Amino acid sequence: MKCLAALLALLLSAPSFAAPDLSAEALLRDHLWREVRQAPAGRRPKVGLVLSAGSLRGVAHVGVIQVLEDAGFPIDSVAGTSMGAVIGSMYASGMTAKNLREFASTFKVGTGNDISSARLVSLLLFDKLLSSEKTEIMLRKKIGSIRFDQTLKPFACVSMDVYTGEAIIFRDGDVAKAVRASMNLPGIFRPLEYRHRFLVDGGVVDYIPVDASRLLGAEWTLASVTETDYTTARPENVLESLLQVIDIRGSYLSHEQRKQADFLIEPAVGDIGMFEDHRVVEAMDKGVTVASARLNGAMESLILASIPKLADGWTPRAAK
Amino acid sequence: MKRAAFLACLLLLAGPARAWRLWGEKSDGKIRPTQALSDAQKPAEVIAMLTPDFLQTLRGTDLRQAYILMGDNLDKLGRVDEALGVYQLGVKIFPKNVDLMTRQGDMLHRTGLDEQARAFYMRAIVYEPKHFGAHLGLAEIDHRFGFLDRAATHYEIALEALENRPDVWRSYAETLIAQHDWATADLAIKRALALDPKNPDGHVLTAFARRAQGDMPGALASLDNALALGAGVGARRAKALWLIEAERPAEALAEADLILKESPGDGAALWARARAQLARGRSADAVRELAPLVTPTRLDFIARAARSLRDTTNSSTAAK
Repeated sequence: MKCLAALLALLLSAPSFAAPDLSAEALLRDHLWREVRQAPAGRRPKVGLVLSAGSLRGVAHVGVIQVLEDAGFPIDSVAGTSMGAVIGSMYASGMTAKNLREFASTFKVGTGNDISSARLVSLLLFDKLLSSEKTEIMLRKKIGSIRFDQTLKPFACVSMDVYTGEAIIFRDGDVAKAVRASMNLPGIFRPLEYRHRFLVDGGVVDYIPVDASRLLGAEWTLASVTETDYTTARPENVLESLLQVIDIRGSYLSHEQRKQADFLIEPAVGDIGMFEDHRVVEAMDKGVTVASARLNGAMESLILASIPKLADGWTPRAAK
Repeated sequence: MKRAAFLACLLLLAGPARAWRLWGEKSDGKIRPTQALSDAQKPAEVIAMLTPDFLQTLRGTDLRQAYILMGDNLDKLGRVDEALGVYQLGVKIFPKNVDLMTRQGDMLHRTGLDEQARAFYMRAIVYEPKHFGAHLGLAEIDHRFGFLDRAATHYEIALEALENRPDVWRSYAETLIAQHDWATADLAIKRALALDPKNPDGHVLTAFARRAQGDMPGALASLDNALALGAGVGARRAKALWLIEAERPAEALAEADLILKESPGDGAALWARARAQLARGRSADAVRELAPLVTPTRLDFIARAARSLRDTTNSSTAAK
């Protein structure tokens, strides 16, 4: 009994979690962050959230959004490719991180697409491409048949014209149709005929759509990147080989695009395969963990980019 | 007949008890003198007593307690690696002992190995779902990783057993503030202050909560309370910066001077002075205040922010 009491006393004597960080650096960051958040339009750079392609790995974006939302990160526009477009369109339409998480938790391989064993057999034996129509139907259920000018935050998504190889950045028209085109894996789904173009997944040409974000007017971009670690993957069939090639291509593309983003958050989801839908929650959690670890860095980067504009209001002349 | 029935009952009752003794579960109490030494804060003596020969004479509860005492007292002596080794061995020998598991989790948590620590805490709550030590550890880790809702839940469970621990109430309040749950945060802070009214940390936390809710006069008053109770230079730093936010530059200047007396070259104080000079229209003085922060060797956030403000101020002065 005495031992137990001593044990309890020992545990009780251990200090708990730290109080607010009152170091000079933390307080100055907090002070300037408040100024950035409260700055009126024009007194800080327009912030663009960029969500990369990444098939099922892309659900990690939900975790990143959750952390940014908790921190009150100002996000003025959203751009996405493939799964980034799906998550981005929902977020830009007003779904909260909590809603997104609830929705993404139910993701299965066949969610928003036509993939089933029978269809895959048909694809492999009869060379019959699948339809991505379910993506559109799913999106219409979630966000309605809205147009780009009806989203709460400006939104853009990227697709590729399979006949010309051009990256097509959608900023107007029907959101669900454009997002479907953005997440239309070539070799698995039929190209989507829309606006006189034959569209496939944008991840082939614009893996991290920083350019789309800039078109929306973003002056400072934060990119959430969910690349695959293709060095560890060992494709064992036609489909996996195809995806591996797309991922490698995306990875090459992203080398340059990474440099264009002002800040990168990269959830460690490289080992999550397209068919591992049992790892959806894990992917979102990894998004939260990495974004939390990088949050101070992201804040500091945006603060430093904002100081020249903020400083205009720190003098008496500006106050008048 | 009655006697026979009585004997049978006695045998039935005594059987398991004897078996319990044979299994070695009952303690001989040999550990008590060592426990007394530990309670008397004599870690070196405790370690000297816990020789391998002595350990071999122990069984059951005594042996478990010996591992705990050895680990705890090695830790007190600063021999952290050895303490961790002892807990690891203890957990291997007693794989269902939640106290050993939690202690190993605590050691890993303290050394920053939070993923590994989490695994031990999770195992502990499988055996003892309300183990406050495990929940406290999980709450801290979840807060750090950005899982604020989970952290709050763990704090709530821990607080069922630790309702008299003001530091845990403060940590819980901090999580609630990060979640923007002001009403519950206020209650948690009030509880912490009721338990420990003279602790400045509670008042500092109140100040952060008030400021986050837009009540700047209340926030500054709480900081004054904290300073009156002996809060360190950190609280004064916060006050100097928040006075700038409250557009009271003269007072901010005075607070910054007090900080610089205590902590010469303090980055937050110099920043507050520079901002106060800018607010009074004295750009040249502002640049001069920032000079100690803008040295070629400094690359930290404060230095980069100071450099940015200096350059912006210089270029707007030149433009005039």
